[in-house]
Amino acid sequence: MAEVMIDAKNIVKDFKISKGLFRGKETLRAVDGVSLQVLRGEILAIVGESGCGKTTLAKILLGLLQQDSGTVELCGSKIEQIPRLELAKMVQPIFQDPYSSLNPRKSIGSIITLPMRVQGEKNSDVWMKKALQTMDLVGLPARMFDQYPNQLSGGQRQRVAIARALINSPKIVICDEPTSALDVSVQSQILNLLNDLREELNLTYVIISHNLAVVEHMATQVAVMYFGEKVEEAETDQLFSNPQHSYTKTLLNSILSPDPRQRNKKN
Amino acid sequence: MQVADQVLNVENLSIDIPLSGDILHAVDGISISVNKGETLCIVGESGCGKSLTSLAIMDLLPQKAVRTVDKLELNGSSILNYSDRQMSDVRGSKIGMIFQEPMTSLNPSFTVENQMVETLARHRNIRGKEAKKLAVQMLEKVGITPAKQRLKQYPHQLSGGLRQRVMIAMTLLCEPELIIADEPTTALDVTIQAQILELLTRLQADFNTGLILITHDLGVVAKSADRVAVMYAGQIVEEGSVYEIFDNPSHPYTRGLLSCIPVPGKIKRGEHLGSIPGMVPSLIGEFTECRFAGRWGDTLGKEEENIAHLTPIEGVDYAFLVHGTTDHVVRFCCNSCLKKSKSKISKGVN
Repeated sequence: MAEVMIDAKNIVKDFKISKGLFRGKETLRAVDGVSLQVLRGEILAIVGESGCGKTTLAKILLGLLQQDSGTVELCGSKIEQIPRLELAKMVQPIFQDPYSSLNPRKSIGSIITLPMRVQGEKNSDVWMKKALQTMDLVGLPARMFDQYPNQLSGGQRQRVAIARALINSPKIVICDEPTSALDVSVQSQILNLLNDLREELNLTYVIISHNLAVVEHMATQVAVMYFGEKVEEAETDQLFSNPQHSYTKTLLNSILSPDPRQRNKKN
Repeated sequence: MQVADQVLNVENLSIDIPLSGDILHAVDGISISVNKGETLCIVGESGCGKSLTSLAIMDLLPQKAVRTVDKLELNGSSILNYSDRQMSDVRGSKIGMIFQEPMTSLNPSFTVENQMVETLARHRNIRGKEAKKLAVQMLEKVGITPAKQRLKQYPHQLSGGLRQRVMIAMTLLCEPELIIADEPTTALDVTIQAQILELLTRLQADFNTGLILITHDLGVVAKSADRVAVMYAGQIVEEGSVYEIFDNPSHPYTRGLLSCIPVPGKIKRGEHLGSIPGMVPSLIGEFTECRFAGRWGDTLGKEEENIAHLTPIEGVDYAFLVHGTTDHVVRFCCNSCLKKSKSKISKGVN
């Protein structure tokens, strides 16, 4: 059996929300007892409507937020016990909007090499070489090393974000809506790239998306979240052909098929 | 196609934006028309001029932009030389507009009631109790319940889907003849998106309104469109009925776009999707080479099993009828991209 990369059990996360001046606080349960297991090489997709706790869950898996109860194990060790730098080598994020996830005042080269410098690599030749290798891997021309994010298109920026995530060879990559800010023509490039990289580098992905066509194309396993709870999890084909929970059914019914003859069949 | 049914007719619209020392040709000679009760979808990548086209129809272009157009007719009468005052009567009452982000298009400091009643007062001179009654009716029509309570709320108290419904209700208050919806569902969840599209299509049939839907989502197009115009770099490269476009895409760019979307059953999991390399070219200055230079990758020019038969249209360069029907027109930008399309061109047929 394949190695378990992510093993999360009963994660709960509450946020305290102010009800107004002098009115005290209210508790919002963003993630309510979610358990997940992801094996090496799998692609787990998390779907659900906005505000259902997908991103909070992703942040917990990245170690950016601490869960209130439950345990998260990455590659067999508890997330709290992994030192911060080690954790960053293990798991990396790719965010939705490449316009806000890259520092506009840093050059592409310095954005991509930052994780190496953080990890204590002092030799500039080493990170320069590694950066150019990674840029080549994600399909960015070497001349962009000295350019700035505003000189790049959306697709190229997302490639920079991917290069930054991959430079320390992580085992797990968590993609939060990796293509929803991009055009379809660019979306397909990025999806192809993510698929190639997974094979080449033996990566494990967690993909958060509300685009069900993308999910069906990419994922091996799908978890459906609704109001903080995981209401259904199944293999992709299983979930799409035989949804169990009523919310999953609603979700699947709202897929817009790219075939005009299908339009009246649903609803 | 009867001219009497035509709501909007735009012929040869160009938009130029002067920059320091050069000109940005944002839209380059496009013609569109919409009939009553018809949905025209305009699709294309970002930066190809979709949104500017819709703003140009409303005469809402940024100040510097220069609009040149041969014909701009609403319901058969020209609105080309309307004054600002006349145009502001047209906007809202005859042409309604729905924008992408309903949070920014509603005024955050007024209640829904204020905003709806104001629209009625401005365009239809209906005030007081009657205006409120109409507003309640319209909210109920777009599926907002309880409408009376919702009227008292501010936009920030409503969810994204509700806000977009309020926008649609406001647009419909004056019973416009044409609605322009610019990416109306992009900011919404998939479940809400399906509801809003359903609602738009239903209301459009009820009111027999013409609808221009601007989107980059081919799923939305397949769901709602009657006719589709594919835009690229300021031009319409292919136009036709929705079935023609999806069954017989004849411009390599349209094929490229269609190959980019994952279709279950057609493409295996993890297999490569089609892609269009490069990006939309800069529209600054004149084109010296093909608009598609640098974009011919694996997809464009490949996959030509069903070769389209093209008939040249007289008087227009590189424009063709597909399979001889006026319902489906394809336009190339130059000889080189025409050659790459590998279509069969018949000669001497009118």
